[in-house]
Amino acid sequence: MSRPGVVIAGRLLLGLGLVLLWTLLHRVLGDHTIAGLGDIAVRLWEIAQNGVLLRDIGVTMLEAGAGLAVGGLAGFALPFLITRVPGFEAALRPFIAAAMGVPKLALAPLLILWFGIGLLSKVVFVALVVFFLLFFSTLAGIRGADPRLIAVARVLGLRELMLLREVMLPSTLPFVFASLKVALPRAISAAVVGEFIAADTGLGSYIQNAMSQADTVGVFTGVIVVTVLVVVVNAVLDHTQKRAMGWRHSAIGGF
Amino acid sequence: MTPGKGGPVLEVRDLARCFGGRDGRDDALAVIEGLSLAVAEGEFVTVAGPSGSGKSTLLNMIAQIDRPSEGTIHLRGETILAPGKADLNPGWNCQIGYVTQEDNLLPWRRLLDNILLPLRAQRRLDADARTRVAALIETAGLTGFERYYPHELSGGMRKRASLVRTLAYDPPVILMDEPFGALDAQTRTELHADLLRLWSLKRKTIVFVTHDITEAIALGDRVLVLSRAPARVVDEYRVDLPRPRDVDHLIAEPAFARLYESIRQSLARQAPKARRA
Ligand SMILES: Nc1ncnc2c1ncn2[C@@H]1O[C@H](COP(=O)(O)OP(=O)(O)OP(=O)(O)O)[C@@H](O)[C@H]1O
Ligand SMILES: [Mg+2]
Repeated sequence: MSRPGVVIAGRLLLGLGLVLLWTLLHRVLGDHTIAGLGDIAVRLWEIAQNGVLLRDIGVTMLEAGAGLAVGGLAGFALPFLITRVPGFEAALRPFIAAAMGVPKLALAPLLILWFGIGLLSKVVFVALVVFFLLFFSTLAGIRGADPRLIAVARVLGLRELMLLREVMLPSTLPFVFASLKVALPRAISAAVVGEFIAADTGLGSYIQNAMSQADTVGVFTGVIVVTVLVVVVNAVLDHTQKRAMGWRHSAIGGF
Repeated sequence: MTPGKGGPVLEVRDLARCFGGRDGRDDALAVIEGLSLAVAEGEFVTVAGPSGSGKSTLLNMIAQIDRPSEGTIHLRGETILAPGKADLNPGWNCQIGYVTQEDNLLPWRRLLDNILLPLRAQRRLDADARTRVAALIETAGLTGFERYYPHELSGGMRKRASLVRTLAYDPPVILMDEPFGALDAQTRTELHADLLRLWSLKRKTIVFVTHDITEAIALGDRVLVLSRAPARVVDEYRVDLPRPRDVDHLIAEPAFARLYESIRQSLARQAPKARRA
């Protein structure tokens, strides 16, 4: 059997095993602890029909997406700005490290106090979580850029913007994608956690509501939807990365 | 030091370069000390010296990607580099080209884009330049590989590409650090001929570092021999072989053989003495 064949067969087997295990646990532990797969399917169909599913996915993704865009762009751009002034970055680093040390989760209630229970508080929360991830890895990428390559590029007449575009940005790209891979699931989780605390729409609030009504099926349904979202978003990211970094694809043999 | 109208184009005076001691040892390593040389307009100077004698370090400083500890570098009489001078200006506004020992191509750009890069950066990419580049690519035997990424090319092809990249934008002074080091004898000889032909057309000023004595004589107007580190110029040989030179048949000439032998002996004197007691 060819290698992709083995991979697909393996995945099918593992998936089947998971379904069996789930069903077994459901039988042994009962409806209240583990929801049945059939019940979850029915619930998914229901909320897909009445529009709740799409609305909540939309809200959560909007929060995650907006937060990712704001926090990600800031975390990506700031290292380029602060490394332009020699010494500035070193001066700033302990403060940023300290800021990263603040447990963001503990900040969530404060953010809700400041920005209300609507979208904004979650967007800010997600942005905070994402910012630090992108900031430190982009900084590492800039420092890791090959100094010989930069020197030669300058000999060839590259200055400022062109040096940035042709040498610095591509050098940081692997680092940026590596941190995005961590940041994307974190962004979605952060949006969901924010909704746990206070919200009236979104997947987090759906799960929270189900929990308060001891609706095990609802909780599981919500969790599964979030998981599927993360998987889909990751696949999209992988695809983008392959396109953006095609130059080293065959050298490394895939990601 | 050098004949030529109106003084040397490139002049290096009393250059020194130390690298700080490492691993707690505080003895700074002097790689270059008291090195002076002058290159006339349109002159092809080859530099030979033992491995580790500081040849790349010397070119790095001339190209202004490294700073000397002492000494100055002058271009057409203007002091372009001195130890105290504030900012390095790599390539001195594209006046000094540098084909480095490693190819230093951008891994994320295809061959053609790598070669066009300096022309784009200098806003000189027009139809004329493109034609010139195509001819150079042809000469270097890279036709058909324009759309390859560097990692898809052989080591020798990458070196040729980096050579073409510099020749394409035509800086008046070109530094070359063993550009043909990784090539087979046949390709090497062909590229020697091509380089000499290009040079005879444009009369660039070239400083060419090599390990290969034959190459040093075949290409150069003058061969400088560097000492072991701390490097300075210990010997200087004028190559009075007529141009245009037929690199293939040069070796048969008696004048070539005599020169070869003197340079070989000069280099041998730089070989490490058996230091271990
Ligand atoms: N950045 C550096 N820090 C410390 N030492 C260095 C540095 N760069 C070069 N050296 C030292 O300087 C010496 C000369 O190096 P250089 O690369 O100039 O030699 P080279 O003559 O070009 O040798 P080769 O013919 O092998 O290329 C070596 O001993 C090397 O270890
Ligand atoms: Mg060298």
